[in-house]
Amino acid sequence: MAKEQGIGAAVKRKEDLRFITGSGRYTDDLNQPGQLYAAFLRSPYARADILDIRSEEAEALEGVVAVLTGVQMAEDGLGDLPCGWQVKQKDGSDMVSAPHPPLAVQAVNYVGEPYGIVVADSIATALQAAELVTTEFRELDPIVDLVLATDSERIHADVARNLAYDWELGDAEATDAAMQRAAHVTRIEITNNRLIPNAMEPRAALGIYEAATEEHTLYTTSQNPHLERLVLSAFVQIAPEHKLRVIAPDVGGGFGSKIFIYAEETAVLWAARRVGRPVKWTASRSEAFLADAHGRDHLTTVELGLDAQNNFVALRVSTRANLGAYLSTFGSSVPTYLYGTLMAGQYRTPNIHVEVSGVYTNTSPVDAYRGAGRPEATYVVERVVETAARELGVDPADLRRKNMIPPDAFPYETPVALVYDTGNYEASLDKALALADYVAIAERKAEAAGRGKRRGIGLACYIEACGLAPSKLAIALGAGVGLYESGEIRVNPTGNVTVFTGSHSHGQGHETTFAQVVADRLGVEFDAVEVVHGDTGRVEFGLGTYGSRSIAVGGSALCRAADKIIAKGSRIAAHMLEAELEDIDFADGQFQVRDSNRSLSLGEVAFASYVPADYPEDLEPGLSEKAFYDPENFTYPAGTHIAEVEVDVDTGVVELVSFIAVDDFGHVINPMIVEGQVHGGVVQGVGQALLEHGIYDDQGQLQTGSYMDYCMPRADDVPDLVVDATVTPCPHNPLGVKGCGEAGAIGAPAAVINAVVDALGTNDISMPATPEKVWRALQG
Amino acid sequence: MQVEVTVNGQAHVLEVADNTLLVELLRENLGLTGTHVGCDTSQCGACTVHMDGRSVKACTVLAAQAQGAEVVTIEGIGSADALHPMQEAFRDCHALQCGFCTPGMIMSAIDLVSRNPGIDNAGVRAGLEGNICRCTGYHNIVRAVIQAAQNM
Amino acid sequence: MVALPQKVNRANLLRSRWGSEVEQTGEYSVAADRSAVWTGLNDPEVLARCIEGCQSVSKVSDDVFEASVKAKVGPVRATFSAAIALTDIDPPSSYLINVAVKGGPAGFAKGSAEVILEEADGYTVLRYRVAANVGGKLAQIGSRLVDSAARKMADSFFAAFEREFEGQDRRADGASGNSR
Ligand code: FES
Ligand code: FES
Repeated sequence: MAKEQGIGAAVKRKEDLRFITGSGRYTDDLNQPGQLYAAFLRSPYARADILDIRSEEAEALEGVVAVLTGVQMAEDGLGDLPCGWQVKQKDGSDMVSAPHPPLAVQAVNYVGEPYGIVVADSIATALQAAELVTTEFRELDPIVDLVLATDSERIHADVARNLAYDWELGDAEATDAAMQRAAHVTRIEITNNRLIPNAMEPRAALGIYEAATEEHTLYTTSQNPHLERLVLSAFVQIAPEHKLRVIAPDVGGGFGSKIFIYAEETAVLWAARRVGRPVKWTASRSEAFLADAHGRDHLTTVELGLDAQNNFVALRVSTRANLGAYLSTFGSSVPTYLYGTLMAGQYRTPNIHVEVSGVYTNTSPVDAYRGAGRPEATYVVERVVETAARELGVDPADLRRKNMIPPDAFPYETPVALVYDTGNYEASLDKALALADYVAIAERKAEAAGRGKRRGIGLACYIEACGLAPSKLAIALGAGVGLYESGEIRVNPTGNVTVFTGSHSHGQGHETTFAQVVADRLGVEFDAVEVVHGDTGRVEFGLGTYGSRSIAVGGSALCRAADKIIAKGSRIAAHMLEAELEDIDFADGQFQVRDSNRSLSLGEVAFASYVPADYPEDLEPGLSEKAFYDPENFTYPAGTHIAEVEVDVDTGVVELVSFIAVDDFGHVINPMIVEGQVHGGVVQGVGQALLEHGIYDDQGQLQTGSYMDYCMPRADDVPDLVVDATVTPCPHNPLGVKGCGEAGAIGAPAAVINAVVDALGTNDISMPATPEKVWRALQG
Repeated sequence: MQVEVTVNGQAHVLEVADNTLLVELLRENLGLTGTHVGCDTSQCGACTVHMDGRSVKACTVLAAQAQGAEVVTIEGIGSADALHPMQEAFRDCHALQCGFCTPGMIMSAIDLVSRNPGIDNAGVRAGLEGNICRCTGYHNIVRAVIQAAQNM
Repeated sequence: MVALPQKVNRANLLRSRWGSEVEQTGEYSVAADRSAVWTGLNDPEVLARCIEGCQSVSKVSDDVFEASVKAKVGPVRATFSAAIALTDIDPPSSYLINVAVKGGPAGFAKGSAEVILEEADGYTVLRYRVAANVGGKLAQIGSRLVDSAARKMADSFFAAFEREFEGQDRRADGASGNSR
């Protein structure tokens, strides 16, 4: 077995060859005979009633096949897009979920909301026809401001105060009491800016319907095709599951935004059935800005109480979360269970209470974006800890260290519902401080001052709960589905291996890492393992890729399946080698009779299993096993990120001069890929801190709706990054892994803003710290 | 209208609408789907190809403007068994994740390096400023371009 | 080493005012007397000739017009239909133009323009003040450009409008369109 390609090796990726040669197959690259093209009718208003849609002129245009609206969709009996997580309110009642038809029927509630679909024989014709549709709206005053929203008119008839839920976690009384006794209380108000995910491949869908068999096929840009099929079948009721195949081919990044079940792919599949021909839609970037679910958008007040020895004694958090106009697929869970549960951070804070109001506004729906709740939580905790250190005049690193959960305290139960399994927070803090040469910061600041720059350093000691999730726990907390993952391994008759995973890869490199895991476990060549994912027609089931869960849950499922292969193989080998089952050892791809030279390779056993001549009576032929792995706990990656910035006093421009990330992801399958995940996450976090902002004006018009106004991080906005690791293996999954996809985006915003604040000597600056804001802060 | 254009060494005479963009000609008429479209305001660089030896954003060039030109796309710079040094370096340095920005990034990088042999880190970062990657944080892309510069 | 590409637009980082409202004032001089200018401003045919990209103007009633205009604001191109209602009419010196413009997927604009005509020595001074909101794609992509596009349209309108009176021997020295 080639150990240099097994677990822990920086193996080059299998998927790269097709991407670097331009042979990737993304949804928009696919075409079907007789294919038509779709364009959507979208609301230009943030809030309006639809009075009349006149499409005769559009329909008369040559090449136009159909103009379909939400009315027809409703007549066809399609259901609403559901929210998959039921949040319980403070008073025990259910959250209030507003109806969300895929295509709006009576009213539109955000700019860009689709209310119709035009199908034509070319994209140009479809777009031209969309222009010819005249829609009469009755404009209503939009509710855009997150603070005023709860005192404004109702957006949805059944939602009082535009409040989806009023939720809490932790012991309010105990926290209040501890806060009262605190020797010092630090209180800050912070904003977590709205972000627009911007995976580089815009969403796309290609719907196909075979009338003779009633089979529906949907190619789409999804992170979780099985979940998509489940929702489209069970809730939207577009087709029963056995007549619906969802395929997510190569997908150009997701970052959460491609988890959700959207209107467009639903409408495309439905339209394909209505017109009896394949229909394709590809979002323009402008559409993506309006119609992809956005991320973050919180307003928070946080108080941290400390005793006279600077021990944290209480943390009280009150947050208003903007959910947008409708509850997106997981929109309700992000500011609650993925946020409030992380408020202990890496610290021993004994009393914590967090309350969150989830508020509807006339803006695009808000849902999970890389980190999903955990960057917001880390930002709250790490900003208030930083501010406390400043107020108390103590070193921020020392204050953190003093309050950290010590390595011997695990498993550690937090006051906000989680049990941290393992960790060594001081180890990553120490390593990061050493890499940053933290002790010499004063000299660097002085040197920068000589050049007219203000230099600052900022830390973020983050923790995240990922590897979603123990199904029982998740369902008890309101999840509508289990959160296990499936894995199947087929050892083919000639000894090579096909692996099927329910986890989807859209940049993460599953085809490589999962092959490493299986090759390692089964002792076969890495090149002899092929990973299949993203097709409900080939993979039995899966919950998909999000929440840094792929290796921890999907990888573990494959380990279980490999164990089953080895168990069955051992029985076959025992029979063939005429030995007792207990005497068969499996190592490096060989079944061997202990203390003998009699052995069979996995390939030989596989062949025998498919050509069962000399074969156990009581065993089925074939060597193919599957497993569903349901984790017993979340995993808890944690680490310390340190940013160093220089602020130009004249222009307010913030330059990120260094960024150090020391993360504990447990065991690592492929360090090259893991580092890449950290790089990407960090730069998204830096983008949030310095550049990106989804801004609506008071009419609910998106002002940052293109790359002219929404500032994406570019190569020259960031320096080379320093990435290092510490390791405490996860104790409850077979690989000892934790997940690495989101850490960068979780730690970076707080680290960067703490650095900017340090440079400026102010107490706060809101994200993104644009030159204008920084310059104003410098003027005092 | 008719456009005569050479793409990846092969001459084509194509009938296209007046307002057809070069990127549409490549993707739709010639089926060269390696060239991607990531935006509609000419700012992401996913569509970058070479036209007469210089990198251009194929979403801002009309097919008509390519009349008589030599166009090279990601499909034309190397093959699976004979990769261009830039392709090789991207794989070597893990300079791609989802791969969507990659063809444009590689095409820009080749042009950048061929005009600036000995280019350094800051030069690469400034030079690739017209190409957005959402996945990699650019760290490994910059490494790859510098590595390729040594082998080109 | 040859010059590297220019830094792309990062104007958003420097932009401090966000909003889709447009506010503009302008002043033009037209070489015609006030009543002639007033008549011209109320004549659909004159308007159709003077509005750049105008496909049609029709008078629905004395103070209600409908127009269809092909326009381009940055990357947004569309045929816009405008419903125009005149109120607070005080001939020949002032009125309020209320406009609702719709461009389907391209978005919309709505607002009003207060127009005042003042008689000067052999020519007429026209002052206007516009307050408008834009929405849809116009706001999403075009909002930074709406101001200058509106200014351009006004300039081209009055340049053409002035030409309407050329050769009518009413031209006064130095009178020409300008805006501020
Ligand atoms: S597609 Fe974005 S620049 Fe061409
Ligand atoms: S690799 Fe995904 S956008 Fe660059």
